[in-house]
Amino acid sequence: MLGLAGAAFSAPEADRILPVDKYTTEKARGLARAHLSALRDLNAYIYHCVPWVETEKQSIGFFKPKYLSEDDRYLSIRIFIEQDPSPAFAALDHGNRAAAMFSRYAGFLLKTMTKAPAILADPGVGGFITILEWRKQDGSERTGRPVHETIAVYVPKPLAEAYLSGKVKIDELARRAIVLGWDGEKALGELKLPAWDDNFVYTYKIPNYKLDPEAKCS
Amino acid sequence: MRSKGVRLLLVGGALVAATGCATGEEWGIWRSNGAHFASGDHMFFSVRNREGTKPTVTRKDITLARDQGWWGKPITVGQDQILER
Repeated sequence: MLGLAGAAFSAPEADRILPVDKYTTEKARGLARAHLSALRDLNAYIYHCVPWVETEKQSIGFFKPKYLSEDDRYLSIRIFIEQDPSPAFAALDHGNRAAAMFSRYAGFLLKTMTKAPAILADPGVGGFITILEWRKQDGSERTGRPVHETIAVYVPKPLAEAYLSGKVKIDELARRAIVLGWDGEKALGELKLPAWDDNFVYTYKIPNYKLDPEAKCS
Repeated sequence: MRSKGVRLLLVGGALVAATGCATGEEWGIWRSNGAHFASGDHMFFSVRNREGTKPTVTRKDITLARDQGWWGKPITVGQDQILER
């Protein structure tokens, strides 16, 4: 083992993308087939360029928001955000923790999910869902298991387009999107969050991180 | 609800075991105790970052560190509560 140099190209796990045969409607299957390349690119981008987050299995795909009755399909992704323990962050109330995560990741993911022009151009894509999950830092005393906090951000396509074009800023995106929250498995209902510009994702680098030469992070 | 201080509190996503450097003495202890390494991959990562060499962290290393530092099955909302396939 000594002396081995370099690392073979590391590909993201394909199981982060929902397989076509797992969808329940032909509309969804059609979207998944048509945009498979974009979904793979999204998976690879998050894997290589945002290595401190983990994309959940079978979370990339065209899903129907739970609260809708019609088969309106949103491009969705769910990420778990790893971060150092922070007493100060833990001392915030849930709303402020959620606002911080929204500010840091919601806009960034929206931009990343729409890198492929075909996604926004497809009339079958009704919007976007970004699901952000992180470990609750004081959540495991009673159960011995880690407790995760989660927010799901539902952004209809017109609002996404307004944000991406610059007509709507991140704070208005937070006001107009539907944001649902959970403390572990407990639903907290709809949240109204403040939001602010946060460029952390674009500037933070894991020390000594060696990007795969075939990965593209621009 | 809003606090300016909130903006500063999200710390960087530094992961457990992302660096893997060892001093010479520590390396000697590790080498004498094969059980220290949880898996062959872990040993490879530690070996590649021996004292005196510039440590590197690849994407696979991060995944490995995360898997080996797994805290257990989390209590979290199921996907089916959020969206439908």
